[in-house]
Amino acid sequence: MNINLKRLLRRNETVLLIAIIVFSLIIGSRSTEFFTVANLFDILRSSFVQLIFALGVLIVIVSGGIDVSFPIVGIFAGYAAVVIMQKFELNGESLLIPIILAIVIGVLLGGVNAIAIAGFGIPTLIATLGTAGVFRGIMLSFVGASFISDIPIALDAFSTADLIKYESESGFLVRLHVLVIPVAIITILVHLLLTRTIFGRSVYALGGGVEATRRLGISVKRTQTKIYLLVGGLSGLAGILYVSLQRKANPYDLAGSELDVIAAVVLGGASIMGGYGTVFGTVLGVLFINMIKNNLILLGVSSSWQRAAVGVLLVIGITIQAISENRRNKARRASTEAEG
Amino acid sequence: MSNPLQRFTTAGLLADRKVTQLMVFAVLVFTFFSYLSSDIFFTRENFSSMAYQVPEVAILSIAVMLSMLTGGIDLSIVGISNAAALVAAYILTKNMTEEGAITNSWILIACAAGIAMGLICGLLNSVLIAILNVTPILATLATMTLFNGIAIGITNGVSISSLPEQFVRIGTGTFYGIPSPFVVMVVIAIFAGFIINRTGLGLKVFLIGTNRKAAQYSVMGDRRVIALTYLISGFLSSLAGLLIAARVSAASPDFGNSYILLAIVVVVLGGVNPMGGFGTVTGVILATIVLQMVASGFNALRFSQFLYLAAQGGVLVLVMMLNVILDRIRTARSINKSLGA
Repeated sequence: MNINLKRLLRRNETVLLIAIIVFSLIIGSRSTEFFTVANLFDILRSSFVQLIFALGVLIVIVSGGIDVSFPIVGIFAGYAAVVIMQKFELNGESLLIPIILAIVIGVLLGGVNAIAIAGFGIPTLIATLGTAGVFRGIMLSFVGASFISDIPIALDAFSTADLIKYESESGFLVRLHVLVIPVAIITILVHLLLTRTIFGRSVYALGGGVEATRRLGISVKRTQTKIYLLVGGLSGLAGILYVSLQRKANPYDLAGSELDVIAAVVLGGASIMGGYGTVFGTVLGVLFINMIKNNLILLGVSSSWQRAAVGVLLVIGITIQAISENRRNKARRASTEAEG
Repeated sequence: MSNPLQRFTTAGLLADRKVTQLMVFAVLVFTFFSYLSSDIFFTRENFSSMAYQVPEVAILSIAVMLSMLTGGIDLSIVGISNAAALVAAYILTKNMTEEGAITNSWILIACAAGIAMGLICGLLNSVLIAILNVTPILATLATMTLFNGIAIGITNGVSISSLPEQFVRIGTGTFYGIPSPFVVMVVIAIFAGFIINRTGLGLKVFLIGTNRKAAQYSVMGDRRVIALTYLISGFLSSLAGLLIAARVSAASPDFGNSYILLAIVVVVLGGVNPMGGFGTVTGVILATIVLQMVASGFNALRFSQFLYLAAQGGVLVLVMMLNVILDRIRTARSINKSLGA
């Protein structure tokens, strides 16, 4: 029991959960607005898109890679879907058409990443930095560079589709968006995919060691291809949902938001060296980042410090991870020396 | 494994296949744009404006190259250069008169403070990467967010502009007829070339990049070498930041965000191996000039800046693909040769 507790405390998810509780108490003691249902729902609403991106990034990071092209893939897919809807005058009342369009575009762009990474073995950071530039350049020069405010009716209406909506005693409008259900389902699906399927196990194996994976008889290229196609699809979905929630399609959006998402995944305990990471940790990471970002003002800090706050959290997070990793290595070395 | 090392100590310029390729490429790009746009591209004004823009990118690229030679990467270069420029700009604007006059000693102090800022940022990277063993990508991704975030927080996202005349002259003036930033770049290139080719530190950098384990077993202080690399990278980034501030007479937390992609494109195009262990300063400088010609050429032909962005990314991916293909062909050929013999 004692050992179990120790092991539980060492897990990143536990540390993060404690951090969330501590920060909630600090912010809550400073401001009464924090512990309200409205605030909770706001944090959830701002987390939806990020969480879907983060699930994709988690898969890539677990496999030992890194992807910096996903926000561009997302906004490309979302923006292009809206442009296609308008150009071909597709039925604007259907919610499914733009979503499927965006996912297909996302998968196609993911395919480009897959060719570069699985086909040619280019280091993932360099490949995705390059494709991000290509995608953004192509979108802004050929798909369009102007802001679209009259997005299809269904997408526009979807932004206010609330599951729960009532007025609180203090007069605040409390709203919980419908998206909470599909996002929860996707999260659970990704969790099952990573833990209960051969594909999921090969993703972890790949992160543990490429050569070892190959010798296990798992096709590295095929696994990587599937990973980047899947991430492309998830990014496309996140992109169109972003467009819908914002009620506008702005091709300049999302660029630069990759850091927040990567920060959330890393804070959630995923190891950038690959081979370790959980969906639960990622969910906590996303909630934590959004909780801090949304409530800096309640702490009396101006919102221009948001980015610095993410940076500080990230530096602290990776430092803790690195220290515990170093200690584990030292312990392993000591035990082998004792045996020898 | 001794091959790249030998190449550095003994062989001349043309013996390096990648540099030769780049020279041919540079001449092709030059002729292409000169032919297509002889009235705008092939002019004295264009070349002089290129000479002012090349140095910033070249210095940042050399900074990235140093970290890449050890098998790491420094993504925080632009964050550092903006932080350094902001510190310098703050000191300059606080100490100048209404008309923009300032004593030379204040300019020196401002530059020194900017460089100190760069060294502090570099030191943070060093601590994270060399002492705490954080993966370089992750460490510099985090510090990049941090430096940028602090810069935005302090300035509220507003840029500091109209810097004093004397300072701006550093970035826009000439030195015996040559644009002064270009002179700075040449000095830095020689300095970097000297370090990596002629000193023990340089040799150790290549060793670490080629085989970190072997470097560790040879007990040469691999951590100290890596720490120094990121410190130098911070120093060079701060110099680039000061040059940018002096050229545009302003400092802002948002400057040059596109330079990260550009610097990595330059370094990879310049023949540096992203896994570490191989690269030349000459290659990096040549690659900077090639890309600047492409940028100016696109501009002269009135292509959009976004097309240039796509071209940058495309060049990065294509060059990497080409390297892989050439490597495969070479391996296949040498296997065939040894089988035949």
